[in-house]
Amino acid sequence: MRRNPIAQLFFYIGVLAIALILLFPFFWMLGSSFKTQVDIIAWPPKFIWKPTLANYQRVFGEQNFLQYFLNSTIVGVSAVVGALVLGLPGAYSIARFKQKRLAIFILIARLMPGISFLLPWYIIFSRLHLMDSYVALILSHLLITLPVVVWIMSSYFEAIPRELEESAMVDGATMQRAFMSIILPISGPGIVTATTLSFIFSWNNFMFSQVLSMQKTKTLPIAVYNFVSYAEVDWGAVMAVAVAIMMPAIILTMIFQKYVVKGLTMGAMKG
Amino acid sequence: MVKTGFMERHLRVIFPLPAVTFVVVMMLFPVLYTLFLSFTNWNLTSGMPISFVGLRSYVRVFSEPRFIAAIGRTFAFTGMAMALETILGLAIALVLNREFLGKGFVKLFLLLPLVATPVAVGIVFNLFFDPTIGLANWVLSTIGLPKSEWVSNAATVLPSLVLVDVWQWTPMITLICLAGLASLPADPFESARVDGATGPQILAFITLPMLAPTILTAMILRLIDALKTFDIIFAMTSGGPGYASETLNILGFKYSFEYFKMGQASVMLVSLFIIVLASSLGIMKMRARSEG
Amino acid sequence: MKKFIFAILAGLMVMGASAQTKEIRVLLANHPYGDLLKAAIPEFEQKTGIKVNLEQYQESQLSTKLATEFATGSSTVDVFMTRPLQEAKMFYKNGWYKPLTSYDFSDFPKNALSVVSFGSKTYTVPIVTEWQVLYYRIDLLKKAGIKVPTTLAELEAAAKKLNTPDVAGIASRGKGNAAVTQLSSYVYNYGGLYLNKGKAAFNTKEALEGVKYYGRLIGTYGPAGVTAMSWDNIMPLFQAGKVAMWTDASVFYGNIIDPTKSQVPKESVGIANVPAGPKGSHPFIVVSWGMAISNKTKNADLASQFLAWATSPEMAKRALIANITMARNSPWVDKDVLAQVNPDLVTTRAFAAKNGFPYDRPYMSAVGEARDRIGELIVESINSKGTSPTLQSTADKMAAKVNELLEDTGEYGVE
Repeated sequence: MRRNPIAQLFFYIGVLAIALILLFPFFWMLGSSFKTQVDIIAWPPKFIWKPTLANYQRVFGEQNFLQYFLNSTIVGVSAVVGALVLGLPGAYSIARFKQKRLAIFILIARLMPGISFLLPWYIIFSRLHLMDSYVALILSHLLITLPVVVWIMSSYFEAIPRELEESAMVDGATMQRAFMSIILPISGPGIVTATTLSFIFSWNNFMFSQVLSMQKTKTLPIAVYNFVSYAEVDWGAVMAVAVAIMMPAIILTMIFQKYVVKGLTMGAMKG
Repeated sequence: MVKTGFMERHLRVIFPLPAVTFVVVMMLFPVLYTLFLSFTNWNLTSGMPISFVGLRSYVRVFSEPRFIAAIGRTFAFTGMAMALETILGLAIALVLNREFLGKGFVKLFLLLPLVATPVAVGIVFNLFFDPTIGLANWVLSTIGLPKSEWVSNAATVLPSLVLVDVWQWTPMITLICLAGLASLPADPFESARVDGATGPQILAFITLPMLAPTILTAMILRLIDALKTFDIIFAMTSGGPGYASETLNILGFKYSFEYFKMGQASVMLVSLFIIVLASSLGIMKMRARSEG
Repeated sequence: MKKFIFAILAGLMVMGASAQTKEIRVLLANHPYGDLLKAAIPEFEQKTGIKVNLEQYQESQLSTKLATEFATGSSTVDVFMTRPLQEAKMFYKNGWYKPLTSYDFSDFPKNALSVVSFGSKTYTVPIVTEWQVLYYRIDLLKKAGIKVPTTLAELEAAAKKLNTPDVAGIASRGKGNAAVTQLSSYVYNYGGLYLNKGKAAFNTKEALEGVKYYGRLIGTYGPAGVTAMSWDNIMPLFQAGKVAMWTDASVFYGNIIDPTKSQVPKESVGIANVPAGPKGSHPFIVVSWGMAISNKTKNADLASQFLAWATSPEMAKRALIANITMARNSPWVDKDVLAQVNPDLVTTRAFAAKNGFPYDRPYMSAVGEARDRIGELIVESINSKGTSPTLQSTADKMAAKVNELLEDTGEYGVE
């Protein structure tokens, strides 16, 4: 197909436009986080300004940012690890024994509105005095991470030829042994996909943490939200907070780009 | 013949058991508990004890215009968002479906809105949409269009929120369609070109029909999540101005954690649950039928 | 055996010692007084050696957060700012306030104590008293040749004259729930009430006149997007010089003349009484904020120390000098303080104390939802500039809803 140079030019302009629209809010957020209040509320908007670190100093100095960061990390990592422990065997069973109904049952957890569980969780966890504990948060986040792990890994396992386990079983291994020592070790890519994706979802979760976390266990999205409403129009600080919270997810995405893409598109490709 | 042990014989039960138990405990029981609560009049802060009132909470909720309006808004928001995201997402995928310089980067850029924390996204767009100092109005005024009040006006708040959702989730449709396009077999396209079919004809009669299942799946995923949209609405308008952006999810949250009317809130949550379930099953059936 | 006992004792001592790191958890509101206290907390920490874990929230989120936490029964909140008219009934009913039996309340006016006491006990220390005032730009009124309005009719005429594309003639809260308090004075000045003898009364002819006037005034001469605005949205506009007049609570004066935040110089900001309506001038004058101790606190002693410090006469003086209108009596008669306070605050306070009403919202447990409902009415009025033909029917529907709320909590018909 002949490549018309004019068409090529238009094409690349189009690509550039798309890229700009995708990236622009990030640039604006990043830029504003280095602006003074006066510069941010200036009209017409300032595209060139003198940068300042004051917003970040305010945010990291005043708020318990490290604590929120830690909480998000603890909850995220635990929820992901938990999801792997619970989900890998389950996904394997679904793949090998074609347990479609089971798959749907677990995936309903992904489909259903979180708030339907949140209210009863709130009541139950209060009664059990588990409210300001990581337990409540991790359990609730597990309901986010587990379906992701099962969804991705069941597809992944299905694609692995059965011959691998079968030859091991002929040699006398049990199916579970085959799973542990043969299938799992080669499941690296799938696990990375599932882990990255589910961690990002947990990291970004707001609703569960808003209700179930109290002082000690507050996660980053809550801190952001509190800061927003408290700070009303301290836009600089608000933008700095927004940058801080998105950074880890963005970095993870840059590193594990192809896994994240696979994870997001995989389910759609399934027959 | 190897003797199979207890575990191995029952592997299909033992392996899924932990996951299933977890889902039963954390999902099934709470949902049943919510259902139970919907038949009570429990109000956490009235200081009065909980009592079983049959369908009275249902009557109260269903005759509450605010509830009906919330359902309407939920569908309006979902409909607008899905339509825009599907069309835009597909269009962008078709445009990007070729080898070009920087494709890897563009794919990365497509991912970024998807992994951005929705609450933070909402905040950034709040600044964007600020009627007085926001960039959005600056753009409008520069190209000669009248300024808008965006999320501060009841008439424009839902479309503004849809715009934010479109920015964040269109890339997912695009990525899914790109993956789908990449997996289409080359033969039909070759023979069509040999037969002299034009670009638009190929698009309409070959590409789109073959891509249909993928597009539908993408729409299912988006539909379900769009119905449940919470974070950006909560962070940007909290259902306001007035109730103009109050979707069922937001209303349920308010009734649960601001008014503490657990009984009526449960009715709303049950309703939302059913709506999402019905919609998902509905589209899944449609998709199954399209695969023939 | 001896070793064992010794180990146990040592362990207990360690546990005891760690229990002695004195810490309390304090929740404050995003409010001029909260900000003042926050800045002063290092002094408290130094003086007493008690570490203060401070959290600050926007006012309606603070209410929600406190309720959500207290309802779980495992909250670790020790001291918190609270709004008597918003929460006292509900919090008292649920037993979330600790009765303050050893606090000296002699420096407080009787009617301030009445909203924070139930039965013979008092549960909250009143901190801030607010009344509605009219903030205005002295320079803009002078330039337009207008006298300071003293009646609602004059107010509307002034707003019309002062309204330009750049500067809003007048601003007042339009965000439903938040606007209820500011609307109250207007309703009172037309002879209406929110609740009358425990029943919804804001759908009476008089009350509705007030609602229509408010809608007309703010809808026509208010800033763009006013129905999404509470005080924290209007204040920056006033500070940026984009609003000519603003009716809101008296506590914001200090902020709007703060040179680090406001572009409007102190000399240009005037304070006047809320203009009178057909039925007189009855601005609301309320105890807007108090401070209380959680009934479930595990640090009652430390919490009391903090409470005493935060609500002390000295702190009140400091606040009043910063133009935050306090509830205590003593700062208002202190000559040194009065020398630094805007005299208009003193005069408007005296006026409000004489003619004003002590409620700015329907006083009931479910006030949050009631405010949402009345807010619907307000937004409809503003959007239609007071002309919507369905205002009466909306008011009737909302009144029915509010009555339902009163019945559900056993407060219907109760004075």
